[in-house]
Amino acid sequence: MDRRTFLKNGIGFSTLVGTGTAGLSALIPHGLCAQQSQSLPYDLIAIKGGEPDVMFTKGMEALGGIGKFVKSGQRVVVKPNIGWDVSPARAGNTNPSLVTEIIKQCYSAGAKEVLVFDNTCDNWTRCYKNSGIEAAVKLAGGKIVPGNTEGYYHPVTISGGRNLKDAKVHELILEADVFINVPILKSHGGAQLTMSMKNLMGIVWDRGTWHRNDLHQCIADFATYRKPDLNILDAYSVMKTNGPRGVSEDDVVTMKSLLISTDMVTIDAAGAKLFGIDPYDIRHIRLAEEQKVGTAALGNLSIKRISL
Amino acid sequence: MAAFPTLRSLRTLRIIVSSLTVVAVAAVFIDIHHLIPFSLSSNLIAIQFAPAVLKYFFAAGSAVVAVLFVVLLTLSYGRVYCSHLCPLGTLQDIFIWIGKKKYTHRKFPYKKANYRFFYAFTALIILGIVSGSLVLFNLFEPYSNFGRLMTSLVRPLMILFNNTAVIILSATNSFGLARIPLTGPDHWNILFALVFLSGIAGLSLWRGRLFCNLLCPVGGVLSVLSRFSLFKIEIRNDTCIDCGLCERVCRAQCINSREHTVDMAACVGCFDCIGSCPEEGMGYAFQRRNFSVKKEDPSRRRVLLSISTALAATTGFTNTEDTSSAVIAYRAAKKQPIVPPGGRSREHFSQYCTACHLCVTVCPTQVLQPSVIEYGLSGIFQPKMDYTINYCNYDCVECGEVCPTGAILLMVPQEKKLVQLGKVTFVKEDCIVETKKKDCGACDEHCPTKAVKMVPYGKLRLPEIQNEYCVGCGACEHACPTTPRKAIYVTPNAVHATAKVRESKRKEPHEATPEEFPF
Repeated sequence: MDRRTFLKNGIGFSTLVGTGTAGLSALIPHGLCAQQSQSLPYDLIAIKGGEPDVMFTKGMEALGGIGKFVKSGQRVVVKPNIGWDVSPARAGNTNPSLVTEIIKQCYSAGAKEVLVFDNTCDNWTRCYKNSGIEAAVKLAGGKIVPGNTEGYYHPVTISGGRNLKDAKVHELILEADVFINVPILKSHGGAQLTMSMKNLMGIVWDRGTWHRNDLHQCIADFATYRKPDLNILDAYSVMKTNGPRGVSEDDVVTMKSLLISTDMVTIDAAGAKLFGIDPYDIRHIRLAEEQKVGTAALGNLSIKRISL
Repeated sequence: MAAFPTLRSLRTLRIIVSSLTVVAVAAVFIDIHHLIPFSLSSNLIAIQFAPAVLKYFFAAGSAVVAVLFVVLLTLSYGRVYCSHLCPLGTLQDIFIWIGKKKYTHRKFPYKKANYRFFYAFTALIILGIVSGSLVLFNLFEPYSNFGRLMTSLVRPLMILFNNTAVIILSATNSFGLARIPLTGPDHWNILFALVFLSGIAGLSLWRGRLFCNLLCPVGGVLSVLSRFSLFKIEIRNDTCIDCGLCERVCRAQCINSREHTVDMAACVGCFDCIGSCPEEGMGYAFQRRNFSVKKEDPSRRRVLLSISTALAATTGFTNTEDTSSAVIAYRAAKKQPIVPPGGRSREHFSQYCTACHLCVTVCPTQVLQPSVIEYGLSGIFQPKMDYTINYCNYDCVECGEVCPTGAILLMVPQEKKLVQLGKVTFVKEDCIVETKKKDCGACDEHCPTKAVKMVPYGKLRLPEIQNEYCVGCGACEHACPTTPRKAIYVTPNAVHATAKVRESKRKEPHEATPEEFPF
């Protein structure tokens, strides 16, 4: 028996005996189940000039508080970018202090538990540790969860996909009541920029398929599958060159900015502008708007700009 | 002599020391979660005689201490190493113990060791090492075989057990334990480990420590040394009651109770005889009289000579140094093993690696995998970098930290980051950007030095290679999504080179908080 059949049988077994919530939900992918939050005062919040945690707090106050997204007793999954075995100064991964603050606020809103994971590129234990995110999660009382093997990922269908028709998604996402996407703004050799939509590559297993079948199209396709309940784009330290891994701290500039939106296309368009690129020059943003994931026309939106 | 009651406790001491040793060494090899700090177990590994001797040849340091310690220990007390510090010895003792439990009449009566074969075989193995082939050494050396039994057989079981536990725990919403991907070893390594395990189990059930007195190269060397040991076990004619119990408990078949002789060259120092003697008939005393070594059999030289010639011929045949020019073809590149960082060159690595697979266990990305005969027969089972499984972590030096033989030399991360294991070849015709006219960038994304960098290519971006910065880590190759061949791949350097240091240059100001939002 090989490893995969072994694990599959294991999951099947745990379902049979009725103890496996993980196993059970794996069989019932619930796709587009993002809860409809109450109407929000703004489509996009942009904050600058403060520390990451302070900017997040101010931004959420403007949006009506985290309680609009997280209800008592809910299970929250926070997905930062933890892709690389680099120190926080290299800005290859989401800012740890931002992650801590998000988790703290989720708990203050009554979350039952807050879970954090990423399907890393570099070795996962080193990424979790050296990014400072493992410590940041523990500091806030959250749980850091592995995403290192295929066994955690279960097949789903992407009905709105053009090239990408199916994927294997981490079980935490499938079981989450609330999904908070926390990318960091970086340059990227393939996707040009990596922001909220690109960050979702860290919740699936087989990324090679995406690279093989038109990366931009696959990014847009997957964005139709499960919209995060909230997107928080970390632009405190921004990797301007050599992204997404970077070579040295010389790649990083300090922009002290943070964006918050429920719309991935909106936040990515704003992120691109902040970076200095026309959002419509980035194909996956164009495609995602075309596929009705969201809107990149920032001119038509209500934006709250906060300077600290 | 008043010393006798305390002599009996030597057996207890042996059981304690050997148990601790075997547990510690095994734990290091099957530590799937990397929980044991290597500083804890490193001394036990460092004292393993075979790797220490190899290390001693070129990198003295701690190896001198280890080699001297074992040599002096043997010259003083006989082959106590074989029963106290050798993990394979203890494994055999476990089989012997099980055998005795199951078949109560099992005993190993005195039988003179076949020294002619034993020493000739040891000499042949040593000649092999000297002439650059580790094939026999690696097949029979006890420490590395024990290591391979652990990594090839026990470790996969541990991982399966762990992953089952993860499934059960995830049902209770606990994520403290992580699944571990089962990345190897290949079936040849598993098969050999199974054969070796059956062999060693069979030999020990049949005739006790026969392996140690017939095939083991460490045993061979220590056996010669133990002939000169200061302390020798003896049967005391004045107190012996001729019950023959010492012979019955002896696992090395070295006690002739009828003649009252103990063959110290075959004795593995388990002290069972002393511990079991009902009277005070066994002694372990300082003896100034030198054991008279029998005159060397002149025919042995001829045998050795002929074997060594045969061996040299074999190594000459397998050690094909085909590094004449850069091998461009993918398959040709894939045929050559990639030597781990710190291995210096194929020659250095292959000459000193005993294939214990400790580095395979500790490698956090599992890019280090056992080979079969990719290094040639003389480098059987030595680890290689396998970029189909993963790539070498840029900042990691763990393999060098644990290698007990010096085949992988320890480097600081700063030094390691400049070691070039190989160079990349980019095949534009196979690249997604060219074949599908779509962006990809997986190689550039993973490259830690930006030796692979995307450059404008019409409306797309195509990889460009600067091999002077390449470290040959295999990140680009591992990430490249093309099938069946990778469009970007590493061709190994037979001798590791040095990559160029990237000049630090800041293109943009450090502080760039926007005055106004650009939207």
